[in-house]
Amino acid sequence: MNGTLREELLRSGASVVGVACLKDVLHQDIAHLEKAVSIGVDRNLNEDTVSLLLGLQKRTAGILRKAGYRYLCIPPDSDRIRNTFVSKLYPLFTHKMAATSAGLGWIGKNGLLINPGFGPRLSLATILTDAPLQAGTPIEHSLCGDCGMCMEFCPSDAITGEEWSRNEPFPELINPDRCASHKKKIKALRGKPNCGLCIAICPYGRKTCKDSPTASFVEA
Amino acid sequence: MAADEKKKELLERLRNAVIQYDEDAAKEASQEVLDVGMNANDAIFNGLVSGMEEVGRLFEAQEYFVPELLMCADALYAGLDILKPHVEQLDLGVKGSVVIGTVEGDVHDIGKNIVKMMFDVAGFNVYDLGRDVPLDKFVEEQVRTDSDLVCLSAMMTTTMTGMKKVIDNLRTKNPNVKIMIGGAPVSADIAEKWGADGYAKDANNALKDAINMISSLKKLKEEAEAKKRG
Repeated sequence: MNGTLREELLRSGASVVGVACLKDVLHQDIAHLEKAVSIGVDRNLNEDTVSLLLGLQKRTAGILRKAGYRYLCIPPDSDRIRNTFVSKLYPLFTHKMAATSAGLGWIGKNGLLINPGFGPRLSLATILTDAPLQAGTPIEHSLCGDCGMCMEFCPSDAITGEEWSRNEPFPELINPDRCASHKKKIKALRGKPNCGLCIAICPYGRKTCKDSPTASFVEA
Repeated sequence: MAADEKKKELLERLRNAVIQYDEDAAKEASQEVLDVGMNANDAIFNGLVSGMEEVGRLFEAQEYFVPELLMCADALYAGLDILKPHVEQLDLGVKGSVVIGTVEGDVHDIGKNIVKMMFDVAGFNVYDLGRDVPLDKFVEEQVRTDSDLVCLSAMMTTTMTGMKKVIDNLRTKNPNVKIMIGGAPVSADIAEKWGADGYAKDANNALKDAINMISSLKKLKEEAEAKKRG
């Protein structure tokens, strides 16, 4: 079922699709849904990205339901404020963890998921399921290497330069106060708190970003 | 007889939408119920709630877990939001108001929310105090709203002792109020020992018991008034 699901999603507008096995790392309430379908969409920072992600999620849910499997949709972070019962479970889970486990990328110095093809320019959604999907190979370490462009260009000096590695305690990659205070300043100036320099500057995927959906898989 | 068949089909679709936690299907079937002029009350109880009953069974049998239970509840509400405005009269024979909450120190509110949902479905006025509710607040709210019923929930053995205090205080203020307790550590024995009127094993039983309690309470009130007049 892996192949058809992935093809269907890529055909419907997903930029990358991966599957993670999250056995033993999930909270007990959701532990029976140990496979995660991680979907990334090239983010244009507009509302279409979110609705496209939600649509892809629905499509996945439909396919899984038809095949008789359980699933739980975790919507994109920007669409989590919903007054539903199930939204209580969203904080038990992070999209980035699923994405790195699925081999879609690593956590960069800027604290974002870095995909070799799209860099940090992906918005993420996840569907947890008990379907026996074939999981990808997790990425264990940051592949940012010596590059520190996001750190150099960050206008608020919020990026510490630490590197992520799965089996070590999560490092403080970003100083959240500095980042937030800068965004506040920008908001006062322009009405919107968007900064995003650490996304724009990342050399990964800066050229390929718009065109090639085949850049979706990790060759490294 | 085509109408009967359509009705049967819609009830089945509503029921399945809840069981399969398919919000869209629940909305679609509910809209169709209205379009064909079917009784909304019937659709709620014999469709949506019937599905939730099956979900309760699946949960108890450990075939469904917390996420499925929550998604089923969301699907039920998706249908309910469409149908409820068209419910003319709920023929449960009784309506009431209820104060509900999870006691101080306890943040587990899934069970409480499911029970609340059943009261919503049945057309009760529900005053939901949320979770981690200070013990005095239950008494204050009951007095303020003159509710017939107070439902207390606790999921931990450490917090459930708070329920006894609330029961004692409520009894002092209002001997007639009906009290129902529920949650994993609670049992029928404890309910009786602490002087609660009811113990809810699950959401369905909570609703049935609540309706019985309120109707007996209303009967008592009527008798008292009749005596006064007489």
